[in-house]
Amino acid sequence: MVHAGSMYVIQKTERTVIELLLENGITGLGETWGTPEAYALTGRFAKGWIGKDALDRHALRDATLGKSGYDNRNGRNGLASFAGLDLAAWDAAARSLQLPLAELIGARRRESMDVVCTLPAAILDRAVTRKELTTHLDVLSNTKLVVQFAQDQVEKFGFRNFKLKSAAYSTEWDWKLLHELREAMPEARIRFDPNANYPPAVATELCRRLDDLGLEFFEDPTGELEAIARLKAAVKTPVATNMWVVRDEHLAPAIRRNAVDVVLGDLFMWGGIDAWRRMARTANVFGLKPALHSVYETGIATVANLHLASALPEVEYPNDAGLHFLTADVLAEPQVVRNGAMKLPGGAGLGVALDRAKLDALSVEAAVIS
Amino acid sequence: MAAPLAIAHTHVHSMRAASGKEVLVARVLAAGGAAGYGFTLNEDAAVARDMAAWDALARSKGVSLLALLGGSYRKSVKAEKDDYPCIAPDWPNFRKGILESRWNLLRIDPFAWGSVEIVQTLAASAASFELGIAFLAPNEHPWEFQYCAALAATVKGEDSKVIFRKAFQDRELRVKDEPGIGVDWASEPGFKEIRWQNPQK
Repeated sequence: MVHAGSMYVIQKTERTVIELLLENGITGLGETWGTPEAYALTGRFAKGWIGKDALDRHALRDATLGKSGYDNRNGRNGLASFAGLDLAAWDAAARSLQLPLAELIGARRRESMDVVCTLPAAILDRAVTRKELTTHLDVLSNTKLVVQFAQDQVEKFGFRNFKLKSAAYSTEWDWKLLHELREAMPEARIRFDPNANYPPAVATELCRRLDDLGLEFFEDPTGELEAIARLKAAVKTPVATNMWVVRDEHLAPAIRRNAVDVVLGDLFMWGGIDAWRRMARTANVFGLKPALHSVYETGIATVANLHLASALPEVEYPNDAGLHFLTADVLAEPQVVRNGAMKLPGGAGLGVALDRAKLDALSVEAAVIS
Repeated sequence: MAAPLAIAHTHVHSMRAASGKEVLVARVLAAGGAAGYGFTLNEDAAVARDMAAWDALARSKGVSLLALLGGSYRKSVKAEKDDYPCIAPDWPNFRKGILESRWNLLRIDPFAWGSVEIVQTLAASAASFELGIAFLAPNEHPWEFQYCAALAATVKGEDSKVIFRKAFQDRELRVKDEPGIGVDWASEPGFKEIRWQNPQK
């Protein structure tokens, strides 16, 4: 599948996979972004974790990122790299305590959870340039390819929840396509995500025109926080963000500004499980809905998100998930979507194991830090 | 988030403390056999039962409450006399007060608000709004100090502490890292005299 949206057109994803070995012999699994910056930082941070207590994650965070957002000199990459190691520490700690990760986070409340199928902005047979993409979008009849793709996903996986990516190039394309999707799948929950690439006035006008379509939410129709707050005030459909409320210090201003309805938090942007859980609790106290954002992650992060959703009653929306689009994974037991949902694995920790051969086959670089 | 524990049996006992005050003490037996204890000097034993479940879980895993809640931000906690009123356990008032910037420090009586989960939710909101929490030991009982110190250790705000009303000397409370919720049960002579009921076979 070629992913097409307003930010990029891609055909592959790269991830950093982490194995964290405790002194008691137990290994925890983690994952984070696969950019060269995140990979290098993860290795650098890991050196500082040798000999530290995996159960004292607040201390690990302070030691790695500093005590404030200002202290974190590595910005989003720092938070994401920490989050990958943090996930491995949570997994190792939960395995050591013989608890499922969901229970260590809060409770194991749900065994099966609906997940969201991403729909690319356009159906392409290869990763094309922006110019080629817009040429394709100029032909409005091409929207039917996306509708057919969505129906294929229903057929194959039973999806009931969709996220339509937008290239934020043509409001007419988006308006037509969303109406066609609604007509083809009247019961489906559909979220719409232009990644804030529509200007505020254009986005507000488009969202007003889409307001009666019964979409689940508008995800980052525009930006930044002020603009999305104005848009929210102009529509009745809920408004979500994964771009303007992405770490601790963003949450209070968003609450005060009444900027969004849904904080679609990404585990890696937020900097790990503690930060995500804190966000979910605070959001809920102040009437916002937390939900789990995801891109194209391996089974490790996909399952971590399932544990979070299972553990936290504040999470009501289905998780984003892109694992079913990947042609290969690193886990021994495939994590599959059936009837539009994924099951929470049993056992301690994440409840999953690496398949070494699969990992080796996909590896482009590896490092041992001790 | 009640403690993720399969509970086999719970017993709440009323005990007279050395100070003469009545203390409700709860014992939870986990399905695996581990026992945990909780307490309150209030009339509602729900806090004590919740605390006991966390204590049982922590003991059964051989770790402290801190470890189950994500670790500690500090190894010792200040305890100071404080006369400002605590925030009543009332979520709408809490939300309003936060949004009106009514407080620079959240003064919370954890025994009035309730469970560990509620305290963690308060702590999350405090962190998001860059506030510390002052946990009130409402009766200045040693167990209250110890439990409040454990909770305060898990709160991000740097000015988090334990507060009390009477003119005791300010002190620094060490945060215990032993298995359980960090309460020294043996410090109350009446505790060992409790005759716990066991589940009927």
